[in-house]
Amino acid sequence: MTRKKILGSHVKRLMSGVSVHGRRHLTEVETDLLQTELLLEEAIDKLSASFMAIHGTVAARQAAIDSLLDGAAPTLEQRELLSGMSREIGEHVNAAITSMQFQDMTAQLIERTLRRVAGLRDFLGTLSEHGADIAPETDSDEIVDRLGKVSMALAVQSLELRSLLRRSVEQRHLESGDVELF
Amino acid sequence: MAKTILAVDDSSSLRQMVAFSLKAAGYNVVEAVDGQDGLDKAKLQNVDLVLTDQNMPKMDGLTLIKTLRTLPGYAKTPILMLTTESSDEMKSKGRAAGANGWLVKPFDPQRLIEVVKKVIG
Repeated sequence: MTRKKILGSHVKRLMSGVSVHGRRHLTEVETDLLQTELLLEEAIDKLSASFMAIHGTVAARQAAIDSLLDGAAPTLEQRELLSGMSREIGEHVNAAITSMQFQDMTAQLIERTLRRVAGLRDFLGTLSEHGADIAPETDSDEIVDRLGKVSMALAVQSLELRSLLRRSVEQRHLESGDVELF
Repeated sequence: MAKTILAVDDSSSLRQMVAFSLKAAGYNVVEAVDGQDGLDKAKLQNVDLVLTDQNMPKMDGLTLIKTLRTLPGYAKTPILMLTTESSDEMKSKGRAAGANGWLVKPFDPQRLIEVVKKVIG
């Protein structure tokens, strides 16, 4: 293979590596952001519903209390209604607690995204560092050598980043998770 | 006497929600911000149950469980994982480390209390 062809193949390998690794990491970033968006949307829907339901039940309870304060004797039905309202409020609070855990999950996804973006910045920094001291008169053998080294460094960096950022949040909905006793 | 639960999680909001739910059911709750803090607090006072997250700075949940199991007072103390991790591989690791159960986040307070009652009464 001629020197020109060897150089060309190394440039191709480097450009392809930057493209493949860069796209792979950006796809992961995109997936994490979409998952974050889904969780946030569902959280706000469910939290709004829980708070509105709590408000509605508390208002109904207050109306019942006001009627009793006005001297009305509580009927059995009213007693059951008031007692049921406590349970109902408790259920809405529990649902709100489940939904509020979006923060824990989205914080993990955002942290993962930030670390991947920082990793990509380092990845591009490596590219710049290796290319910075290539002078116009640098001979093609040395350029080939440098291109090989930078391709290798980028591949290693990218693999390290991928193994470091194992996905730990699979949830796409805010439904309570599985319970397993050993 | 109320039983004491050590809740270990690096998310303050999550700790708050766990503590709120368990206290409402009559348990005492000691909070720890990561595995190392959990270990330190477990050494200070014996607790009846440990509820721990997995992914935390300084010390993760699996390491905390393994370390607790080497302490004389914690050989048989129930330990439950409460984590976003849901893979069978991680559950197996938890079981091998000495966990007694695995709860996947998000948790439902009522379900959490049922599980805790089942484990420690």
